[in-house]
Amino acid sequence: MRRTVLSTMALACTAVLASTVPAFASGASPVPTVHPTATAAPSQAPAGSATPSAAPSAVPTTRPASGTPSAVPSVGTPTRAPSPAQVAVVPKGAPDTGVTPTASKSGGQGGLIGGGAAAAFVMGGAAVFVVRRRRATGE
Amino acid sequence: MTSLSRRAFVTAAMASLLVSCGGHGTDSTAPEHPGSAPVPSRTSAKAAHGLGRSVPVGLRIPAIGVDTPVMQLGLAADGSVQVPPITAHDRAGWYRNSPTPGQTGPSVILGHVTVGTYGDGVFRRLAQLRKGDRIVARLENGRTAEFTVDAVRTVAKADFPSDEVYGDVDRPELRLITCGGARTGTGYLDNVIVFAALSSATP
Repeated sequence: MRRTVLSTMALACTAVLASTVPAFASGASPVPTVHPTATAAPSQAPAGSATPSAAPSAVPTTRPASGTPSAVPSVGTPTRAPSPAQVAVVPKGAPDTGVTPTASKSGGQGGLIGGGAAAAFVMGGAAVFVVRRRRATGE
Repeated sequence: MTSLSRRAFVTAAMASLLVSCGGHGTDSTAPEHPGSAPVPSRTSAKAAHGLGRSVPVGLRIPAIGVDTPVMQLGLAADGSVQVPPITAHDRAGWYRNSPTPGQTGPSVILGHVTVGTYGDGVFRRLAQLRKGDRIVARLENGRTAEFTVDAVRTVAKADFPSDEVYGDVDRPELRLITCGGARTGTGYLDNVIVFAALSSATP
């Protein structure tokens, strides 16, 4: 009777461990996230125009356009000499030139799952070992 | 009785095996970037300083194995510079409000270091460039402008040196920009900027 109870407990423990580990896997959502700013801008626009195609007037650091009539109203004060700037419109902020691979997080999840499975296996084996020991030495 | 414990052991082993087979991560692939079709560009070349105005259509950096078409980029709605699209074979992009390569001034070319689930970007090894390395820009008019790297800097995005990157200079220069440093969520904390100066031009 005692052996049966111990064996049943070992099985139950293993089953509980085994059922909890896959919960890690369901948490991962490998949805590729693409920045909305990644807009394709093929070279359709004439490069001769110095006005930006996306936001012609809301740029804070607008300088006088070089070589073209000033179609862009000067919003900010020119930061340099009155001569036309070499870069007609200075972009705002830093370029966002890198989208991290979201799939790399799955590697960590995989390690967790593997570790959990190994732990479940070891605990199950230990329980069986204890049952056998008690059976051999006891009754 | 022995058979019962054996059965328990086998059941435990099977459960563990099933669990370990259930979860598997999706591997991130890192595709290579062979040079593909050139980008058509329609621009009227205007006479200017140095080499004269002609938009870049290709970029080659032998030291880090880059040979890519170059597209044109403008400004995004928020006033930041546009970046090339996130695709499997991404390309570099020239900021069209900057001088063309070979003209007096800082010509700005951008590229991705990584392109999300597609893996590495065209400028994935930009930070490995060293002073003296060569950069060759192919222009629409058939000429090439060859630059030599002066400096490679990694700067925090919060302290992006706009004046040094976009400010006036007295000779033809080139700026290559990508991301770098520590990752945060889906992006990076830093920018890698390569400063280069025109060393020669071929007809």
